[in-house]
Amino acid sequence: MDVTFRIRRFNPEIPGKNKPYWQEFHLTDVEETDRVLELMHRIKWEQDGTLTLRRACAHGVCGSDAMRINGVNRLACKVLARDVGNRIQVEPLIGLPVLKDLVVDMEPFFANYRAVMPYFINDSPVPADGRERRQSQEDREKFDDTTKCILCAACTTSCPSYWANGQYVGPAAIVQAHRFIFDSRDEGAQERLEVLGEPNGVWRCRTIYNCTPACPRGIQVTRAIGEVKLAIRSGSPEGIIEESVGPVASSNS
Amino acid sequence: MTSLVLTMTELLRYRGAIGQWSWMLHRLSGLGVVLFLTLHVIDTSWAVFYPDLYVHAIAAYQSPLFTIGEFALVAAVVYHALNGIRVAVIDNRPRLWKYQQRAAYIVLGLTVLILIPTFILMFGHVLNFYGSGAPTLSLIEVLTAQAPFVAGFAVAIIAAILFSLVFGLIAGNRKDVSVGKGTGSRLERFWWSFMRVSGVLIVPLVFGHLAMVHLIQGVFDITAANFTVVGTDLVNQTGTAVEFVAQRWNYQIFGAVAIWRLYDIALLSLAVIHGFNGLRYVLTDYTMSSPVLRRASIYLCVIGAVILLVLGAGALLGTIDQSAIEIATHAAENLHR
Repeated sequence: MDVTFRIRRFNPEIPGKNKPYWQEFHLTDVEETDRVLELMHRIKWEQDGTLTLRRACAHGVCGSDAMRINGVNRLACKVLARDVGNRIQVEPLIGLPVLKDLVVDMEPFFANYRAVMPYFINDSPVPADGRERRQSQEDREKFDDTTKCILCAACTTSCPSYWANGQYVGPAAIVQAHRFIFDSRDEGAQERLEVLGEPNGVWRCRTIYNCTPACPRGIQVTRAIGEVKLAIRSGSPEGIIEESVGPVASSNS
Repeated sequence: MTSLVLTMTELLRYRGAIGQWSWMLHRLSGLGVVLFLTLHVIDTSWAVFYPDLYVHAIAAYQSPLFTIGEFALVAAVVYHALNGIRVAVIDNRPRLWKYQQRAAYIVLGLTVLILIPTFILMFGHVLNFYGSGAPTLSLIEVLTAQAPFVAGFAVAIIAAILFSLVFGLIAGNRKDVSVGKGTGSRLERFWWSFMRVSGVLIVPLVFGHLAMVHLIQGVFDITAANFTVVGTDLVNQTGTAVEFVAQRWNYQIFGAVAIWRLYDIALLSLAVIHGFNGLRYVLTDYTMSSPVLRRASIYLCVIGAVILLVLGAGALLGTIDQSAIEIATHAAENLHR
């Protein structure tokens, strides 16, 4: 099949290209199982070497190539040509400063991520046997869903609250906090709940539900945010999650 | 301002699901209801404080512009109420999020289902009134009557910005509002719960209110003489809007309980606080990058809520005596001359 790409370009260093503009590219001999990322590689390698995008693993694990494809945030490496048809529109994520073409400055996103203390906190002595801190399967399942986050920013930049206000901590940081808040071995829940209870923490979430289908990992993002809100309301993560998402990931779209 | 423009344009361009449209409709309907609530509380208080002004306000309500507005208002209230229940239920049981899309469609469907018979009833009142050839104020007269409100809003906005500028000069402008300080806001936590609890409590109150003074008796029946006032067994003898309010508030059950005063106090306090906190949410969402406008947004909502609560409570605790009804009768006679 033939495919036409319409790509949002921007290059701050070249006069005439330092304002965002659209550019079209045509590709022939496209297989319907080709991924959008591969097709963009073909454009870069065969037609215009200046096309700039981020990618690393190219297999949906590293989370580098989130972009807005046909109007919604996706990972370019997880979208097949047959999913999007033969007219493909690609734009950078919204709400983060565009550096060049499809590359955005992720620093504001990571600053929010760091604010929620996304690491294991436990200052009590190690167990007597000197080995692991044990956890039941039920307790592990409570935060299983939110361990899957790859920090691609697809959810945060799909959120109208985040577009309006970059100070809002955003869905991804809340998902990362959820992963530790509801971990029975972690002791930093109170500190994280205090951070997320700030005016630009979870309260800016208006349950618009753009983040959940945007997640390429199928994380139930809005649900996780809702659980954190309830934990802040009750002052503790105890008893908030009655029924975990379960061991099997499900698709959200 | 730029953040509002960005959000609006990208909302139209981002191909999100129904959730983002539910959110947009919830905001727009809420803003519309707060605007009308402000007009309504202020001019209803005139029934006690300025009877002749109240007669003019009701005459403006009985004009085509406000008739169209009334249909929009009822639609906005019904949608906002039903969608609010959807939001509140899923917020309390986050695992139910899987049903949110279906719930959003059900909310839209139920809104239409409720509005069809409602609009038919309302339209009956409309046909009755305009068909009877009753005199109405011209559009120009209605619009000039709203000029003081527009001026009042402008004064409130300017005052809020001035206060905010002065505060900034004295105490400095805190630019960094990013998260990470570990100072969770008890206030925001309270407001989050309050919005959900008050929202659900308002639903029966406001639906009852709409049923009484928009469906069973419309705004046109307020000025009908010798008409039994809705929810009471008292008769509006002079057919003035002021006597209508007086009879409604005077009506007592169990000998001494002024039921409609209590009802209106509950509705007033819940709706004003819910409405103005909602307005604060909307305004501060788009003014986070400017400390001055952010503070001004909060001041504006506090000023607005306090004025409406004081005016409304003052009227609800006040008395409408015979002289007020006489003033109203006189004003009504001169209305269409």
